[in-house]
Amino acid sequence: MKQIFLLILPLIFLISCSKNNSEVIDYNDNNFSSGGVLINAMSAEPSNLISMIAGDSASSAIASKIFNSLIRYDENLNFTSDIAESWKISKDQKTITFKIKKGLEWSDGIPLTSADVYFTWKLITNPNTRTPYGSDYTLVSQARTPDEHTFIVTYDDNYAPALDTWASLEILPKHILENEDINSTYFSRKPTGSNYYKLGDWVSGQQVNLIKSENGVLGKPYINKLTSRIIPDTSSQFLELSAGNIDLMNINPIQFKRVFPAKPKLKNRTALYKEMGNGYTYLGFNLKRKPFNDKRVRQAINYAINKEEVIKGVLLGLGEPISSPYKPGTRWNNPSLKPYAYSPKKALNLLKEAGYKMSADNFLVKDGKALEFEIITNQNKQREMTAVLIQRRLQEIGIKVSIRVIEWASFVNRFIKPGDFDVVVLGWSLSLDPDQFNIWHSSQQGPGQFNFVGYDNKKVDQLLEKGRRELDLDKREKIYHEFSQQLLDDSPIVYLYAGYGLTAVNKRIKGIKSPAPPAGIYHNSQDWYIPKSLRRNELTN
Amino acid sequence: MLIGISLISFFIMHLAPGDITSSEAAFNPKASEESRQKLRELYNLDKPVITQYGLWLKRMVELDFGNSFASHQRPVLWETKDSKGNVIKGLIQESLPITLLINLIGIFLIFSVSIVLGTISAVKQNSIVDKSITFFIFVAFAIPGFWLALLLMYWTGVVNQWLPISGLHSLDYKSFSEIGQFFDLLKHLILPVSISMLSGLAGISLYVRNGMLDVLHQDFITTARSKGLNEKNVIFTHALKNAILPLITIVGLSIPGLIGGSVIAESIFAIPGMGKLFYDSVLMRDFPVIMGILTIGSVLTLIGTLIADIGYAWADPRIRKGLVK
Repeated sequence: MKQIFLLILPLIFLISCSKNNSEVIDYNDNNFSSGGVLINAMSAEPSNLISMIAGDSASSAIASKIFNSLIRYDENLNFTSDIAESWKISKDQKTITFKIKKGLEWSDGIPLTSADVYFTWKLITNPNTRTPYGSDYTLVSQARTPDEHTFIVTYDDNYAPALDTWASLEILPKHILENEDINSTYFSRKPTGSNYYKLGDWVSGQQVNLIKSENGVLGKPYINKLTSRIIPDTSSQFLELSAGNIDLMNINPIQFKRVFPAKPKLKNRTALYKEMGNGYTYLGFNLKRKPFNDKRVRQAINYAINKEEVIKGVLLGLGEPISSPYKPGTRWNNPSLKPYAYSPKKALNLLKEAGYKMSADNFLVKDGKALEFEIITNQNKQREMTAVLIQRRLQEIGIKVSIRVIEWASFVNRFIKPGDFDVVVLGWSLSLDPDQFNIWHSSQQGPGQFNFVGYDNKKVDQLLEKGRRELDLDKREKIYHEFSQQLLDDSPIVYLYAGYGLTAVNKRIKGIKSPAPPAGIYHNSQDWYIPKSLRRNELTN
Repeated sequence: MLIGISLISFFIMHLAPGDITSSEAAFNPKASEESRQKLRELYNLDKPVITQYGLWLKRMVELDFGNSFASHQRPVLWETKDSKGNVIKGLIQESLPITLLINLIGIFLIFSVSIVLGTISAVKQNSIVDKSITFFIFVAFAIPGFWLALLLMYWTGVVNQWLPISGLHSLDYKSFSEIGQFFDLLKHLILPVSISMLSGLAGISLYVRNGMLDVLHQDFITTARSKGLNEKNVIFTHALKNAILPLITIVGLSIPGLIGGSVIAESIFAIPGMGKLFYDSVLMRDFPVIMGILTIGSVLTLIGTLIADIGYAWADPRIRKGLVK
């Protein structure tokens, strides 16, 4: 026992000694060859690999490597072929005809045909399927498969987001699932797919291994095996990356800006990538409450918040201000719009117009009531920090702000659903399809619906309805540019920032596009490769 | 008793705002409120809480712990077989052995190291040795576990590459022989077990030390010494036996703790144990899993108390005689 004691003592007191790793690896070897293993880290375990039933990002990340959709987004976020080689929209814009490629196979060798597509559509629209995503597909009034390579859907009414919904529906194999209960099938842990990879094995709570598929419908990837280790803690992920045990992880701004530059050796063998992220953070007003029903008050607060400062403080500069709910650089983003520039003067003028006066103790007062409110947000470090920065800027012009941080499920059910809040700091995704009907249309204000800020603008309602029915891309673009402009002017939310997605990748992985295309670095992951000299010895096969 | 415990935990859980639909795709504009209402109906979450409790109790009577909401209907407790013969493992079935193993090793080490440290401290009361032991166990107790864990991981995993940093197995452990796999597992467990051991040392060592001091000052020890027994014999045969008697209660009471894991340690070391399972289920409002773990926990608490009582009676004749009276 004394020996154990003696063993532990030095462990505690000798912590900071360091030794040099004397391995010399030439990361400039660019010789192309197929093979090797890529190990990455995931923070959470996938719940299951049928993405229409799973709601979590870990599941869809793995599932998307196994399954295909009818069509997909290319690197510039335009539609391109996947299982379907082409698609045609009818003159009346109500019917879409997909032509499916010939000679496709599931990874078990059974042909993949339009029957599988039809089966998948039937499955997601079946009321007994436990999916939250069914509603988009129930809009299809008729689906037909005149032959093995044609799939035709007809909508009662024009539905512009249709193509996007077909790009996100992963096609499942009919021959396996036909007589299974989709809600409990073993298939969700042992799927058969059609994409670049197939499932090797899945060790619960520890790792998921994907192996190159020999008959993927889009061809063969260069890397033989993808191992995703489940490591919930990002500091542990970072240590594994530092030790060279994993090749790829998502990092945060502090790691990107401070930690990697401070470790030259680690930086030498790691490449850092940034790409436009998939979401933005905003400050949303409860428009049904005073004083936020007054547009001038909302605009004033918008002017009083220094977005550059928030981006610098919270994201260490690794983000962009935005002025519409679309990804900068895509066609839906209106380039003529500019965010509200920081100007406390303009803010004060607007508030004076709205009837506020400065009181003796430097607070804004109207009808004897001070301008004060509570910002609520969920447990998210970045959002908490954002709220604090905003609090300070608003206090400077005489607005009293308090902050409250709440656990997610309580946050949604106690505050957002019943509309019991003043101001929230939250995020929305920068969706690839421009349709924002669910978020901004005045009919979407019921409990549990997404227009919980209570935005109600007849002009925007009309634009959103029109945009939903217009399948012509150029006309659609105009509609949404106008919508974004109106939304920015009304300022029902203050756009704060869209953060970058940050990834650290070991330099042994070659072929990653930099700078990242709009679709992000993972877009061409099938073309990544690992030169022979840089592979891990013990795992090469 | 069990029904009371389960009733209370069931209601507390359901009083917390939210259900499985509020985390699963809660803020995805593609998921409509109607679809979510439909999900609630499929999970019986739209029924009054008392009805839900009735349904749960009905299943419990048949020892059916149900299926998890969040992880695609995986059974909560034990594996099931589907029509094709595929075995779907239960959530607790997979997490429990790992946690049990870590905690058993941990408790064994805590008790053995503590008894040694406590005895040394007591025998050499107020000496340098005693003081440094006390200092050490208090430092070990006070150091935040996650912080020390990260430092040790960095030192033994990144700088020196002696030990694996996280996980339970090496990636290629399936190619090892059985003994190789066992040592691989042990290697992965060194850090997590030592971290969990360090914080537990303080309580038990002090317990032993004080118990020992009490006993050493009693008359029968003086008698033993005056009989001319050597010091070793006095301490180990006469004093220690009496001093560690109260530990039986502690062992019994730590039985329910055996199935609980530490969320922080499990997250840092990427160990899929019970702590993480329970924590995630609470966040996801995965009621069947939460209730399953709580029920097993309360059964074990009852059993643990019973074992402690019996063990005490078995070890201490005074109590046995008291019982007979």
